[in-house]
Amino acid sequence: MNDSYYDPSAPSLVRVDRVSRTYPDGGVTALQDVSLEIRRGEYLAIMGPSGSGKSTLLNLLGTLDRPTTGEIYFEEQPLSALRDLDRFRSQKIGFVFQSFYLLPTLTAVENVQIPMFEGPLGASARAKRAAMLLESVNMNHRAKHLPMQLSVGERQRVAIARALANEPQMLLADEPTGNLDSRSGAGVLDLFDQLHRERGMTLVVITHSLEVAERAERITWIRDGRLVEQPADTTHYREHL
Amino acid sequence: MQFISFIAKNVLRRKVRSALTGVGVAVAIAAVVALLGVSRGFEESSRSMLKDRGVDIVVIRGGLGQQNTARIDESIGQKIAALPEVDKVAPVLIDRVKFQETTVPVPVTGYSPGSFAIENLHILPENGHNLTAGDKDGVMLGAILSRNLGKKVGDKVTIEARPFSVVGVFQGKSMVENGGAVARLIDLQKLMDRVAQVSEFQVVLKGEFKENEDALKRVQDRVKTFTDPSGKPYGLEAQTTEDYVNKSNEVRLSQAMAWMTSAIALIIGAVGMLNTMIMSVLERTQEIGILRAIGWRKIRVMRMILWESFALSLAGAAVGTLAALVLTRALSRLPAANGLVEPSVSPTVIGIGFLMSLLVGLIGGAYPAFRGASLAPTEALRYE
Repeated sequence: MNDSYYDPSAPSLVRVDRVSRTYPDGGVTALQDVSLEIRRGEYLAIMGPSGSGKSTLLNLLGTLDRPTTGEIYFEEQPLSALRDLDRFRSQKIGFVFQSFYLLPTLTAVENVQIPMFEGPLGASARAKRAAMLLESVNMNHRAKHLPMQLSVGERQRVAIARALANEPQMLLADEPTGNLDSRSGAGVLDLFDQLHRERGMTLVVITHSLEVAERAERITWIRDGRLVEQPADTTHYREHL
Repeated sequence: MQFISFIAKNVLRRKVRSALTGVGVAVAIAAVVALLGVSRGFEESSRSMLKDRGVDIVVIRGGLGQQNTARIDESIGQKIAALPEVDKVAPVLIDRVKFQETTVPVPVTGYSPGSFAIENLHILPENGHNLTAGDKDGVMLGAILSRNLGKKVGDKVTIEARPFSVVGVFQGKSMVENGGAVARLIDLQKLMDRVAQVSEFQVVLKGEFKENEDALKRVQDRVKTFTDPSGKPYGLEAQTTEDYVNKSNEVRLSQAMAWMTSAIALIIGAVGMLNTMIMSVLERTQEIGILRAIGWRKIRVMRMILWESFALSLAGAAVGTLAALVLTRALSRLPAANGLVEPSVSPTVIGIGFLMSLLVGLIGGAYPAFRGASLAPTEALRYE
């Protein structure tokens, strides 16, 4: 596990306080009484099997969803008190998805500019910043290519550049290597390491691959909607590599 | 990248569907522009016919839907002429008649020879003369009617089974006038069995009373008080030229028909747009979820969808307006409509067309925009 940069004394960036999430339609409790602290600059992996509630937790951390009970604090401000969660999400959170979710009709450099429409930059400044971000993920040579003209690894790099568009404080990645071959996956994880090391980016990665999780400073385990201790036998998770 | 470039790329993503939707809007806008153009043209024609003769007031029978059917005693003209504000009065009989040479009813106006109304008509060079008191059963043809009938000065025409001689061909300022004919009042009265009756009186005020609201009011009040020998009111109204045209049954009917047909076309256009935009939002559910996840506010998603709808509508409006210009020009040259229709596709009419297209865009885009913006990001991201 990468523990060189983890500082337990660093101030809290996110605090999840006894959060539960229930879906009344299906009578499903996806998360139950979860408490968790993420420190500024921390690289955290959340591990668990399918259906364990890790995506629900990521959605709550990213303000895509709201807890049924409990509270999530960002820089000690309760998220439930925020009026404009969209603006908050736009400015503070970057998302990286398993399926990249790039817009198919836009080139790489245009895709990176999409989140910037909610920011203060004009068209030329947006283009300049997008080019710079693509360069930072070694994709500037593919800037004018459409997603379908890129390899899956390249698409995920563009998606990472897009996630960084508005200089977020926290990057949330949902199975970021799930659709990648091992080489491309390693490249993406190297990029996360670099972001964490060079920018002090707070990273939360959801995965059920122990190899991916071990790149983080800390691993939190989740099962049946609750945070649990690391299982004694993790062979099963290695089988997913 | 500009926001508008993003909109354009979204619209062009489904080229055929966008084109077909644009065509739907274009047809609707072409209908609006063409029909309003025809209606406005008719209105302007009617107005210019009177204004060019300097007519300030038209005295008509009040409460009639169809002024052509009015039967007003011709002798009332003398009472009107006796009013101190009045300079000249022209008794006028207007009717639609059947020429043997054409199946289309032709508007014929009966004037008294020597009246200002008839003297104002411009006779084309070497095309006869204005009707005089001696031109019994003579008729003047408007330039378009003369061309449509193939008749010139000296030829005979048959109106309502009675022979008339063409004594002149005139060029009026409106197509309605040029598509009609002018006969002596007395001849038309006999022909239509309306002896000593007129449809209206065209009145010119004295110079000092023109544009004078008080004088106008005085004339209107006096005309209302005119009674027959038994003391029964004639029920006459003195209307300004503007009011006369605006309240004219034909003008109102043409406006109503234009708007009614336009409204149907617009509803069809809007439903097409609505269908396209709903499909577009449904297809892009996941994309909208992504946009929301990466921080787009609901209002920006709404703006995106509405702008796409507006872009399609405005493109449709541009094509539709061009089509309307071509269509109305062609229509006015058709033998069946020649002389009856003089479209006036003014900047105002084009402006109305574009405004209507924005309305189509709004109606077609509002619900899909609301629906798109209301998608929960987590649900939308799961959508396949």
